[in-house]
Amino acid sequence: MKKKPSLWKNHTFRQVLFVLAFLAIWEIVALSKIYPPLLFPDLVSILKALVESTASGEMVQRTWYSLYLILMGLGIGLLISFVMVALAMVSDIFADFMEAMVAINHPLPGVALLPITLLWFGSGEWGIIFVLVHSVVWPMMLNTYAGFRSVSRTQLEVGRNIGLRGLRLVTSVMVPAAFPYIFTGLKISWARAWRSLVAAEMIFGASGKDGGLGWLIYQRRFFLDTPGVFAALGVIILIGIVVESGLFTQLEKRTVQRWGMVVTRS
Amino acid sequence: MAGRMKVEHLWVRFTGEHGEVQALEDIDFSVEPGEFITVLGPSGCGKSTLIRSIAGFQKPEKGRILVGEREVSDPGPDRLMVFQEFDQLFPWRTVLGNLTYALKVKGVAKAEREETARRFIRMVGLEGFEKAFPHQLSGGMKQRGAIARSLALNPEILLMDEPFGSLDAQTRAILQAELVRIWQDVGSTIIFITHNIQEAILLGDRVIVMGTRPGTIKKIVPVPLPRPRLPETPEFMALWHELYSQLEVHRFGENGKVESLVSGKD
Ligand SMILES: Nc1ncnc2c1ncn2[C@@H]1O[C@H](COP(=O)(O)OP(=O)(O)OP(=O)(O)O)[C@@H](O)[C@H]1O
Ligand SMILES: [Mg+2]
Repeated sequence: MKKKPSLWKNHTFRQVLFVLAFLAIWEIVALSKIYPPLLFPDLVSILKALVESTASGEMVQRTWYSLYLILMGLGIGLLISFVMVALAMVSDIFADFMEAMVAINHPLPGVALLPITLLWFGSGEWGIIFVLVHSVVWPMMLNTYAGFRSVSRTQLEVGRNIGLRGLRLVTSVMVPAAFPYIFTGLKISWARAWRSLVAAEMIFGASGKDGGLGWLIYQRRFFLDTPGVFAALGVIILIGIVVESGLFTQLEKRTVQRWGMVVTRS
Repeated sequence: MAGRMKVEHLWVRFTGEHGEVQALEDIDFSVEPGEFITVLGPSGCGKSTLIRSIAGFQKPEKGRILVGEREVSDPGPDRLMVFQEFDQLFPWRTVLGNLTYALKVKGVAKAEREETARRFIRMVGLEGFEKAFPHQLSGGMKQRGAIARSLALNPEILLMDEPFGSLDAQTRAILQAELVRIWQDVGSTIIFITHNIQEAILLGDRVIVMGTRPGTIKKIVPVPLPRPRLPETPEFMALWHELYSQLEVHRFGENGKVESLVSGKD
């Protein structure tokens, strides 16, 4: 311990150790056969299922489809929220309307909307995208609007003073100044959308031969292919980690942390 | 440089939840091109309101402000404001980036921007910090950065609202000397707000002394001392006492104005 305090003090190192410990315990329990392998498969068979489904191209295709859906949902959701917030910034009446809409819709989980969505949109791709947009739009609006309203008066006036007006003032001063808020909105939106996506896919199933990771899990369970279910769960976790701890953390380091706009964990 | 600046019978009134405040009453003076004017007055006498009106952030109730032939109606880069606040540099840009961006907005050719920016950064003694982000600078360095940005845009009029207000005595003395040197170099008109009598005399060609509630001009005192000025000289002391007595009259009031004086004192 005393020889390598620096490695043990590294957050990432410690977290990786915990994950490895968890996997080790999993494997011990699985190999001890306390539970039937059909319910509690060992890591090797999960890994085998993962390799097989990847090699056959199915896992890759399912993953792409899920990512495609979520990018559509995020894209449309972000667009709608920015337009709504922009309108709210210029009109007090619209701001009240928007805040009322957020208050009503924000607490509503996307999954709860699924039955209604099925009625409205049928069981196609657009039903899922509707649910995703719903999970993105409200937290995004809430945070972006709060961010714009928190922009310091001094910085806005500096912007106007050097000659910025209208849209240019928004993109050059308000958006970067509100970045910590926008960023928080983005993280919440992603988390919500990613979770609703998997749930929605299980209910909507595949449209045509297309279906995402959620649908894959559903299918595998149907065939009692438990290792396949866990393999798909593993991919979902992996994508979550890559986006949340990889992409977002890096983006945060390069922007708001670098600019000293948020408090950083040492 | 363009013509003189005239403040013609300017009245400003605020209407708020706490009733009405006549912030400025019949302010009337003019400033020659290249002149260094200091505005001295107790807290709440309307100094910021006056300078914000000249910058174009505050609409007058009556009267008008002319720069040369043009009437001020909007903020613009011909009248640049250095605020009292420390957050006036954009935190998402480096010191250099803050200056080059402002130059870009002004329409300066790309090739010239960086050179001009570096020259003014050197002028305020920030060389070596070009690539630093504002959060990595001390308060005084941030103010110098803001001054450099304003100067780089070569405004006709530089408006400074207690820019050294929250600095320690030593930094303040250094920046005062630097400001006079730079002003002698670039030849902009400067309107500089302070509530420090010594600073007013040290910097200004003339000192505008304001009284409070409503904000009025009590007296305009010329400072016929050669630069650099030394506070220990008898002439300086005499001026100091004259200005002090001007402020004192205000502070203890002309008859019947006791109430307004209590709320207006520093
Ligand atoms: N936006 C506003 N709304 C209402 N009243 C205001 C507003 N801005 C200033 N005032 C009032 O106008 C008066 C003058 O304010 P101002 O900020 O110009 O004073 P100041 O001389 O700059 O004071 P200080 O030295 O403390 O900065 C004050 O009584 C203040 O309460
Ligand atoms: Mg003020």
